[in-house]
Amino acid sequence: MQVPLRPEIDTGTGATSGERARAMIEIASVSKRFETSGRKSHLALSDINLTVDDGAFVSILGPSGCGKSTLLYIVGGFVAPSEGVARMKGTTITGPGPDRGPVFQEFALFPWKTVLGNVTYGLRQQGVKRGEAEAQSLRLIEMVGLKGFEHFYPKELSGGMKQRVAIARTLAYRPSVLLMDEPFGALDAHTRTRLQNDLLNIWERDRKTVLFVTHSVEEAVFLSDKVVVMTRAPGRIKQIVDIDLPRPRIRAELLLDSHYQKYVVDIERMIDDGRDDAEHS
Amino acid sequence: MTSARSIIAKLSPLLACLGLLAVWQIAALWLDTESFPTASHALQTVPQILGDPEQLLNILDSIRRMVIGFSLAVLISIPLGLAMGRSARVSAFFNPLLMMIYPVPKAALMPVIMLWLGVGDASKTLVIFLGVSLPVIYHSFQGAKAVEEKMLWSGAAMGLNGLQRMVRIVLPAALPEILTGCRTGLVLALITMVTSEMIARQSGAGNILFNAMDMAQYDTVFAMIIIIGALGIVLDAAFDKLRWRLVKWAEPHQEILLGAS
Repeated sequence: MQVPLRPEIDTGTGATSGERARAMIEIASVSKRFETSGRKSHLALSDINLTVDDGAFVSILGPSGCGKSTLLYIVGGFVAPSEGVARMKGTTITGPGPDRGPVFQEFALFPWKTVLGNVTYGLRQQGVKRGEAEAQSLRLIEMVGLKGFEHFYPKELSGGMKQRVAIARTLAYRPSVLLMDEPFGALDAHTRTRLQNDLLNIWERDRKTVLFVTHSVEEAVFLSDKVVVMTRAPGRIKQIVDIDLPRPRIRAELLLDSHYQKYVVDIERMIDDGRDDAEHS
Repeated sequence: MTSARSIIAKLSPLLACLGLLAVWQIAALWLDTESFPTASHALQTVPQILGDPEQLLNILDSIRRMVIGFSLAVLISIPLGLAMGRSARVSAFFNPLLMMIYPVPKAALMPVIMLWLGVGDASKTLVIFLGVSLPVIYHSFQGAKAVEEKMLWSGAAMGLNGLQRMVRIVLPAALPEILTGCRTGLVLALITMVTSEMIARQSGAGNILFNAMDMAQYDTVFAMIIIIGALGIVLDAAFDKLRWRLVKWAEPHQEILLGAS
């Protein structure tokens, strides 16, 4: 079934002309169908077209079960699309690789490794000598605010600290793209806010391309250059919203900013419109 | 590390042993029959047995077979269990086979094995091997199956290939569960060791025990029970210490959760 390309799903990168406006990730006509019991199957994603520019912070926002994580896994190479292709710097993605670093909601740390062991893991795998890998890792551990916890095991850390380790572990092997799958979804509101601020600080330093999956509208608007709003199953792109807010963004200022508030309200409306049980007033 | 709790924890097995010996002593004195020697009598016989070079060699023979059977079983069962836990195809192939072998008492296979391999070391070691294999396979399988997919994905993103993920992620992640299987396997190794020697009487600790039984040397019988029991307790305690050292990073409640599920 061919779904016509909607006008708002504009893959054009020319609009925001900048020296870094090069396509990092291209997702072309991607669909994903999961085989369930018997002959039934579930269409998780339908005809997704999306381009992520180099250095952009792009959030994928949608209700649970809209396939937003699946889309991220396809880019990560962990899941193969049923139709269409995903490309990374023009090369078709066929599997995972160190150019795309995932950060999961479940942290997925190696529990038998200390904080330092977790962070050095990727560097050691790439053949970096132990001394050099540890020196780099110690700097990263300090950057994510865990100085003094280098020799702790994951079980000894809180959820927020675990996620800091996971972020450092992924940043360590210098992926071109960070793939963040609801990274703060399992954390309490306070920890979540602090990690959002810290992530933004880290990101604003080196402007790594980030694909960020979330179901929080505020989080998406606060962090992103672009918010991709998805519809409920089967997941399609409903709209892509450019977030034109100045950086560096400071949370306290932004919350009072009417532009920020308008983005949040507009996007919330957009999501509500897509609901079957939407109230008509 | 000498808190009151740890001292009590250390002493409680010793107290249990002393209690058991006391009950035995009283019961034996009260019953006063030849076939039930007192604990003190049996204990006095222990050094006699261990001091006799021939008997000692017999016991060391048993331990050697046990160590070989256990080691071989662990070396083969862990990779097999892990492969079964991660691959539906491998699991589909081996599962029916294991389900058939599982309920068969391994000692019941002894006559057939003796027919093929004789009454020597080979058949006894093989029975020990079979006894140890199943729990180790089962726990390795469960451990590998429970490994978080996202952990493997994280490894894959770092560039680990399939075999590296198996050895460097699945194996350590499943280690707490694997070692639980090995601990059960160790106890089963001791049990199958004695039963195999009971059936194929030729040498070993089981042989001493049952020969003494035939000759109504009840002191020796009970002394051997003490020796075998002590061996089991020492091995189990030593293994548990090793296990604790290897998986001190694991969540303490992990095992209970796995046991309950």
